[in-house]
Amino acid sequence: MDLRICVPLGALFDDALGAMAAVGLPVDPLRDAGRRLIVEVPGGPTYITTRPSDVPTYVESGAADLGIVGRDVLLERQPDVYELADLGFGGCRMSWCTPDGDDPTAGAIERFGVVRVATKYVNCAERFFEETGRKAEIVKVNGSVELAPLVGLSDGIVDLVATGRTLRENGLVEREEIFTSTARLIANRVSHKMQATLMDDLVRRFEEACG
Amino acid sequence: MTDPVPLPAGVRDVLPVEAAELRALADALAGAFASFGFREVMTPLIELADVLDRAEEDGVGRAYRLFDDEGRVLVLRPDLTIPVARLVATRMADHPDPVRVAYNARAVRPPVAGKIEGAEQRQAGIELVGLGGPEADAEVIAALATALAAAGVPDARIAIGSVALVSAVLGGVDADPPVRDAMWAALRGRSLVDWREAASAAGADEDAAAVLADLPSLRGGPEVLQRIAAAVPAAAGECDRMADVLRLVALHGVAAPMVDIGVVRDWAYYSGVVIEAYAAGAMAPVAVGGRYDGLAARFGRARPAVGVAVALDLLHHAVGRGAEQPDIGIVLVGGCDQYIGEAAALRARGVAVVALPSDAGDAEALALADGRRFVVRHGAEGWVARDVIGGAEVALSDLGEGPWT
Repeated sequence: MDLRICVPLGALFDDALGAMAAVGLPVDPLRDAGRRLIVEVPGGPTYITTRPSDVPTYVESGAADLGIVGRDVLLERQPDVYELADLGFGGCRMSWCTPDGDDPTAGAIERFGVVRVATKYVNCAERFFEETGRKAEIVKVNGSVELAPLVGLSDGIVDLVATGRTLRENGLVEREEIFTSTARLIANRVSHKMQATLMDDLVRRFEEACG
Repeated sequence: MTDPVPLPAGVRDVLPVEAAELRALADALAGAFASFGFREVMTPLIELADVLDRAEEDGVGRAYRLFDDEGRVLVLRPDLTIPVARLVATRMADHPDPVRVAYNARAVRPPVAGKIEGAEQRQAGIELVGLGGPEADAEVIAALATALAAAGVPDARIAIGSVALVSAVLGGVDADPPVRDAMWAALRGRSLVDWREAASAAGADEDAAAVLADLPSLRGGPEVLQRIAAAVPAAAGECDRMADVLRLVALHGVAAPMVDIGVVRDWAYYSGVVIEAYAAGAMAPVAVGGRYDGLAARFGRARPAVGVAVALDLLHHAVGRGAEQPDIGIVLVGGCDQYIGEAAALRARGVAVVALPSDAGDAEALALADGRRFVVRHGAEGWVARDVIGGAEVALSDLGEGPWT
């Protein structure tokens, strides 16, 4: 099988392996990969492991034929790939969150004309505030987003929320849900056509296993 | 250290090896297109922005714009189909139908940060104007298949969809306009997940609903078209037309394209069949095109049209290194001064001669850098040729006739 599959490390990794095992892909070599980034299975696919946000890049460029990635990453990166199936796991939501107490959003717009937003998801945040008719000033941060509104860097954050525990621990509350996200199966535009039979068969099995 | 010399984002230089390979590809494509009677045209690099506005094309939002000295907005052509449609509708308005034109030119679009696609896109394409039937669709597909084979793509695959067929299906199941918009957005965004979600809201009856949910995933041969026509009778006409295209392509003797209803183009001017070609090694389709019957009317001469453009840079990636050996040209030491006449005589016989001064230093290094195999010198014992790849001295007779024979 001449197929390269890009698998996200991190939160989606275990469920991604479970889903791939459920459709009959040999994933045991991937479990025992250690620090190897590429795992070739004799007679099976080649797995490429990357950070979740890099999965669309590898698939769009054709370095991988298939990938598993959260919808949040797809909406942020807008890669030109086929989104073939909703795999169901990795559920979370993208939300606009501000410190507990009165929601500062409307007041910020009224007094300053903009709401200041700290986020890792610059494009999602920008689109959301544009679509809701508000002007946002986006501050890109790369980690510990919750910190930003607590120290006055921003009015709030746009971030992924799974259980809401991190938010609560930092005194933040969800104000508006932007979208919900689950893991998706994506394919390179060319691979999707050149390996049509294999792809269609895999999609059908993923849908049966995850649908 | 000197200051860096940057280029604008998204553009690059093409050095001799690549230029030669791109030229060979373009010539192969042009030859195949010419065999179908497509004649080359050239349009200006800059157009009035009005030309794009007339095309009513959202897709050309990304374009380099500038002003002329009277304040009119100009645009660097972000696409070739619109300028060529303008050319055919105006300059060739009286040309008897059908008009067959080809082009080999660069489209320019501002790059998108984080994307590999460059700002300059070399495109070699054809437009067949004035024939509205499936025979024209089939000819363009056949010409594309012939051209890709001529360019040396070992395993090209062509897929065809149809925006008219998708429209007919959506009309046939009577989907509400907002649902329809959501479905088109899903299709253009290539999200089968979003499509299925929108399709479930379309309220189609049972048979139609099953086909509707799977529509962009349906692919294969004529059986796909039969299945759609059976479930959504309103789309039967468009399905028949695509089946005709398949039948006619087969008569051309090229490989059957795959029917893939999920193939759509981002550009709004497409009105019928849409065409994509793929090759292993290219990250995106090596060729795209389709039918755009409404475009010419916007330039004052309504005629149906269908065309396709090959992305030369992507094709180059798919073909890989050119199979041809480097030219058996020679580097002639003294060709610049002492043996100018001999060099001229060789060129007249069709031998490429790279001339060096008599006191040239390392002629072998230059031969290697330029991809020339032989260095020829005149020494005490007459003419001597050295093969820079093998390192051996070779008989001059191996180089063909020359002043040494």
